[in-house]
Amino acid sequence: MSEPVLAARALSKSFGPNEVLKGIEFEVHSGASVALCGENGAGKSTLIKLLTGLYHPTSGHVEFNGKQEDWSSPRASLEAGIAVVHQEFSTIGALSVAENIFLDAEPLTRLGLIDRKALVAQTEALLEKLGIHLAARSLVDDLSVADKQMVEIAKALRSDAKVLILDEPTAVLSQNETRHLFKIITELRASGLGIVYVSHRLDEIFEICTDITVIKDGVVTSQGPVSGYTHDSVIAAMVGRELGNLFPEKPLDREPGEPMLEIKDLVVEDTLPPVNFEVRAGEIVGLAGLVGSGRTELALAIYGANTASGKVLIEGEPLDYRSPSNSIDAGILMLTESRKDDGLFLNSSVARNFAATTPGHGVHPARVPIGHEEARAKVMKERFGVVVDNVGLPISALSGGNQQKVLIARLLENRPKVLILDEPTRGVDVGAKSEIYKTLRHLADEGMAILAISSELIEIVGLCDRVFVMRDGELATELTSQDITEEAIMSVAAAETPTHHGVASNG
Amino acid sequence: MDDVIRMTRAQPVHLVVLALIGLVVLVGMYSSDRFATPLNFANVQDQMVALALVALAQTIVILSGGIDLSYAGALGLLTVVFASIAGEDPSTFAAAVVAVLALGAFIGAINGGIVTFVGIHPLIVTLGTSTILSGLALLITRQPTGSVPLFFEDLVYGRFGMVPYGTIFTLVLYLLAGFLLWKTRFGLRVYAIGDNEQAASISGVPVKSTKLIVYALSGFLAAITAIYICGRFGVGDPRAGVGFDLKSITPVIVGGTLLAGGRGGVLGTLLAVIVLALLANVLNFMNVSSFYQWIAEGLIIIAAVSIFVGRKSK
Repeated sequence: MSEPVLAARALSKSFGPNEVLKGIEFEVHSGASVALCGENGAGKSTLIKLLTGLYHPTSGHVEFNGKQEDWSSPRASLEAGIAVVHQEFSTIGALSVAENIFLDAEPLTRLGLIDRKALVAQTEALLEKLGIHLAARSLVDDLSVADKQMVEIAKALRSDAKVLILDEPTAVLSQNETRHLFKIITELRASGLGIVYVSHRLDEIFEICTDITVIKDGVVTSQGPVSGYTHDSVIAAMVGRELGNLFPEKPLDREPGEPMLEIKDLVVEDTLPPVNFEVRAGEIVGLAGLVGSGRTELALAIYGANTASGKVLIEGEPLDYRSPSNSIDAGILMLTESRKDDGLFLNSSVARNFAATTPGHGVHPARVPIGHEEARAKVMKERFGVVVDNVGLPISALSGGNQQKVLIARLLENRPKVLILDEPTRGVDVGAKSEIYKTLRHLADEGMAILAISSELIEIVGLCDRVFVMRDGELATELTSQDITEEAIMSVAAAETPTHHGVASNG
Repeated sequence: MDDVIRMTRAQPVHLVVLALIGLVVLVGMYSSDRFATPLNFANVQDQMVALALVALAQTIVILSGGIDLSYAGALGLLTVVFASIAGEDPSTFAAAVVAVLALGAFIGAINGGIVTFVGIHPLIVTLGTSTILSGLALLITRQPTGSVPLFFEDLVYGRFGMVPYGTIFTLVLYLLAGFLLWKTRFGLRVYAIGDNEQAASISGVPVKSTKLIVYALSGFLAAITAIYICGRFGVGDPRAGVGFDLKSITPVIVGGTLLAGGRGGVLGTLLAVIVLALLANVLNFMNVSSFYQWIAEGLIIIAAVSIFVGRKSK
């Protein structure tokens, strides 16, 4: 077999005491496309950052064209021919499509100035070649999320790459755009590029990948040609346990309780139709949809953190004036999407974080007795299985899973009737996920109404009793019991609509 | 057309600033016949050159996502050094120009170096250097000191018809800066870093060296400003820069450049400098205390940013 164009040899990476990758062996051959699979937090992104020089390995090394390389920067790997389409958008909104695609590789005149005519011409030629319909001069700020992704892809392919790394490239693309991307990938493979394809969508992996590498907890658990795998075997290697064990049993035959949360004619944005739905006691209702479909906006509107017109009722009682503090008083609690930005006080102790929103019974918020927070946090630790030696440690010392448990425990201190959870298990390891799911099901069984947003389809399918699929800010469909499948959700979420397209909006 | 708008970085907020200029001029004409005269306009221009120059420097720094508060101390030290060396002789004058431009760029490079390589927030770094530079200037002299050649004062006070040379010089620098931001790789890097440093880095933009150059350029422009100030006052004053740290930010913000970086441009800053200078002039004619001028200026800052924010979160 020929030599791989890009390879990882016994590659390890630690952040402080945290070993994120352990002895990774990984190869990409010219003309092949390797799927990189693994749960969130398994170490895929770290591996990509090591391969491209954004991080430096703790031990082991990267090989490119058979030679050991220690990239000094992403620029070095880019110049050598490793192109990356990143998961987080790395487009620059203030610049035009052309300026983004050729950022720092702009054609120059003899005087060393940017040759704007050539810049636009080269961009148009590249977009034409890739079949992407975008105006070279339009500002990236004005583009849809999907179009920004196409800009990213064009940017990665602006020069003769030898390896193309795609990190979740289809997360924001519609089916047609995904088809188109696959066509581009197939052509690139035929021309000899090696492809690294990171995706959660197994169907895509089986469609366009030749090999699979599965990473779990920083270790390669399975590796080989795609022909040797099935959906189930990939999932088994990813999670290392049967799916059934991850989620608690759903009470399929139970009668739903009284409506706890009712949403009536809620208008989040003027251009969108009003939203109506209810969540009953004992139910876990899912909000599914693509990133940018308006799930978080809707949740924040219900919680009162975003302005919106319409009515929100709790146990039949309308909330007069909607704000987060009123919602909390009425019994609506929300776990926000980003625990680092909106949830935790990162420099404070675990105990302080836990007690932040509720000082506890009989305690004045301004005069918290010494030791009180610690005592309460100990109870929390025991009840929710938070793994921490000393609740006086800063919360930043905890793993993502434990941080998330602290946040959920904190919400429950307010005795919520309705719990809104935005990405409850983001960046959380599988073990902690399973515990969080059990906690949520237990809370529902006790009569709480739960509304959960998640981008992980498995989570929606495994956890929810009822699911609304959102698309372009609307509740596009409702799925119940047996109808809740990944396929059913995706077919609605990613369906082609007039406002969600990959075609130039200003031509 | 797209390109023209992009090149000038024209924004809707500029129309507001233009309308404000018109309004101030109308009020000025109403309140005094001496307002709308070539002589008064030339005076207004003389008043605004120094601010226009430091605001230009600040615009580029802010576009890159940074901020430079070192002008307060830097201008003091640079004017003192300049006037001390310049004397009356053309040859020492030339030496002083070269030395001060180099010193300015060096001060900026130190700022940029600490910001990029030590990783301290530019607000803190430049506040620190500003204080150090003020101290140095006052150690050299407590009183205004030195002198500049007569021909230089003539040049600074000179006018082409009723247009001060200072205005022409300022306009040329603004044009050059606009050109730099539109036509060079450096310019696009500044916008990219200011918009999203991580994304710029991933895209292969040399973030650290670009930032270093931005601050060095800022110091270099501060040195030009210092030389101009020496020409106006004929001496170097250790306190010449007092207030210029915050004053340099006002026109940048009023001109529609985002304090967070990445959005805006030099045209807005120039328009804002003009409106602020005219406003001060008109209020003078109306015999309004300068404290009211501060209040007016403060209201304009907040109003300008409110318009900007309102437009974004509509």
